[in-house]
Amino acid sequence: MLKIKNLYASVEETSILNGIDLEVKAGETHAIMGPNGSGKSTLAQVIAGHEDYEVEKGSIEYFGEDLLELDVDERACEGIFLAFQYPVELPGVNNTYFLKSALNAQRKHRGEDEIDAMDFMDIISDKIKLLNLKESLLKRPVNEGFSGGEKKRNEIFQMAVLEPKLALLDETDSGLDIDALKIVANGVNAMKSPERSTVVVTHYQRLLNYIVPDFVHVLVDGKIVKSGDKNLALELEEKGYEEVIKEAKK
Amino acid sequence: MKVLHRIEADFEESISTSSDETKEIRIDNFNEFKKLGIPTSKQEFWKFTNPSIIKDSELTLGLSKNYDDENYDIIVINGKLTKKNDDIKINNINESLAEKKISNEIFGITNNPFINLNNAFSTEGCVVSFKDNTEQEVRILNVVNNTTSKQITHPRIIVNVGKNSNISIFEEIRFLGNKENLVNSVTNFILDEGSKVEHILVDDYSENTYQISNVLVKQKRDSNFSSYNYSNGKKLVRKDFIIELKERGAHCDLRGVYLADQKNHIDHHTIIEHEDEHCTSNELYKGILSGKSTAVFNGRIHVHKAAQKTDAIQSNQNLLLSDDAVIHTKPELEIYADDVKCTHGATIGRLDEKGIFYLRARGIKREEAQKMMMRAYIGEVLGGMKNSKAKEALLEKIIENIPEGE
Repeated sequence: MLKIKNLYASVEETSILNGIDLEVKAGETHAIMGPNGSGKSTLAQVIAGHEDYEVEKGSIEYFGEDLLELDVDERACEGIFLAFQYPVELPGVNNTYFLKSALNAQRKHRGEDEIDAMDFMDIISDKIKLLNLKESLLKRPVNEGFSGGEKKRNEIFQMAVLEPKLALLDETDSGLDIDALKIVANGVNAMKSPERSTVVVTHYQRLLNYIVPDFVHVLVDGKIVKSGDKNLALELEEKGYEEVIKEAKK
Repeated sequence: MKVLHRIEADFEESISTSSDETKEIRIDNFNEFKKLGIPTSKQEFWKFTNPSIIKDSELTLGLSKNYDDENYDIIVINGKLTKKNDDIKINNINESLAEKKISNEIFGITNNPFINLNNAFSTEGCVVSFKDNTEQEVRILNVVNNTTSKQITHPRIIVNVGKNSNISIFEEIRFLGNKENLVNSVTNFILDEGSKVEHILVDDYSENTYQISNVLVKQKRDSNFSSYNYSNGKKLVRKDFIIELKERGAHCDLRGVYLADQKNHIDHHTIIEHEDEHCTSNELYKGILSGKSTAVFNGRIHVHKAAQKTDAIQSNQNLLLSDDAVIHTKPELEIYADDVKCTHGATIGRLDEKGIFYLRARGIKREEAQKMMMRAYIGEVLGGMKNSKAKEALLEKIIENIPEGE
C-alpha cells in the first residue's frame, strides 16, 4: 500500500527526515516511536501532504502511484487520513456541515453521488456512539470549545465516517486520560480490516496496549534506527530511548 | 465649484413648487450646505474619504419614473415614492411636515453638509408609520435610475415606530443603468418605547456609484434597534450610522459586512450616543478587501455623563486578500460617566491557513475550503438576524460577491 524509500524532508531549510525507508502493507498496523524532535510528526505530515515540508529526496509510493504528485486534498480523497495532533478549531464552521462536505468531496472524487441526507444522519449517529461523543457536538463549530479529549475523539469520529484506507494517527494519545484512551483505541480497532492500514505515531507505549501494532519502528534524528514487533515497544518502555538507541548503534 | 452652480439651479426650481411650511426649512438647510461646502480630507471626519471629487462634476438632479417589482411593499425611485402596499401607512414628507405629523426637528440643520443637502431636496421622500403594538415585515426597494450621466439623487425615508411594535425592514438598492452617479441618502428611524426594529440594508452598488449614506436613529426607553448593513463598495462609499440611545434600557446592535476590490473605496463611520443610564450597544463590523481597495472603519462611542451602567462592545475585523489593500480602523471612545463597561478591538489578518489545511486534509478542495472559512467569517455577523429567509439570501449574495484574492 505505502512504500517510502530514502525520504529526505526539510522545513525552512532545516532537514528533519534523513532517509526514511518504510513499507506498510494492507491490513497492517505500524507504530512509529521516538524521542521529541525525532521527526515522527513530520513523517505523518509529509505523508498527508503538508505544503510547509519540502521533500528533497526519495519517494513515496501509494498503491503503486507517486504520492508526492498529489495535493493534500487529493491524498485525502485517495483514502489517506491524518488524525491531527492538534486538531484545528474552525469557528463558525458547523461540525455536521463540515463532515458532510468532506464526505461528499471524497465521494465526488470517486465518481459517486452526494450522500442522501437521511443516510448521512444514520452513519453519523452510528459512529458517534462508537466514540462516545455527545450528539450536541455535531451542532457546534468544528472543535471550538471542545475539551482536549473531545477533540481527539472527534478526529477518530471523522475517521470512522470517512473510512480511509490509510490512517495516520499523530500522537492521538497525548492529553487523553485512560478512559478516553480506551474509547479512542476501541474506535480505531473497530475499523480494523484487511484493506485498512494504520500508522500510529506516539511517544509512549501505553497506547500500544490497546492498539496492538504488527511492527514498531524507532525514529531518531529523522531515520529509523530499529524496527521490531510489539515487544520493541515494551523494551523501549523498560529501558528508555537512550539505551535502545545506543544498542542499535552498536 | 461647478457642482454648486448646477445644484443651486436645481434647488431654485424645486423650491418654487414647495409649500410655505417646508420652504423655510429647506432654504435654511440649503444655505447651511452652501456655507459648509463639500468637505475635504483636511477635516478629521473626512480624513480618508475625500468627497471633493464630486466638486468637479456637474451633477444633475435625477428624475423619477414609474417602476414596479411585486416583491417589494414600498418602492422609491430617485427619491420619489412610486409604490406602496395598502397595509402600510405612508405619507409624503411634504404633507407630513405641513400637517405637523413629523417634527421639524428631523430636518434641523446639522454639521454634515450632505444631510443638510438631503434635507433641502428630499420632500418627495416618504414617512412610514407603524402604530403601537404593530408586528410587520416590510420590504423597501430603493431604485436609482441612473440612465443620465452625472446625476445626483437624495432618497429619504423616515420610519416612525410606535410603542411595543416589532418591525422588520429589508431595504435594498437597485440601479437601472450604469452611468456615473451620486446617491445622497438619509434614513431616519424613530423608535418609541419598547419597540423593536430589525433593519437589513443591502447596498450592492453599480460600478460607477458614489454614495453618501446616513442612517439616523433615535431610540426611546427599552427600545431595540438591530442593524445589518451590507455594502459592496464601489468608486466611493461613505456610510454613517448615528444612533442616539436617548432613554434608559435602549439597546442597539450594529452589524456590518463590507467588501471592496480593485481601487474601490468604502468608509463606515458609526456613532453611538449613550445618553441615558442602563443602555447597551453591541457592534461588529467585518470587511474583506482585495486589489488596491481602501476601507475605513471609524467607530465612535460617546458615553454621556448621565449614562451610568452603560455596556458597549465594539469590534472591527478585516481580512486582506491582497498586499495592496488598505484598511484604516479607528475606535473612538469618549466617556464621561464613571460606572460603565466599554470594550473595543480591531483585527487585520488573512484567512487562517491552518484551518484551510485542516479542511483540505479531509478531502475538501482549496477553493471550497476558502469559501467555507469565508462563510463562517461572514456568518458570525449575520448570526443574530431574525429574518431567516433574508439571512440565507444575504449570506449567499455576499459569498458570491467576495472578491478574488490579489
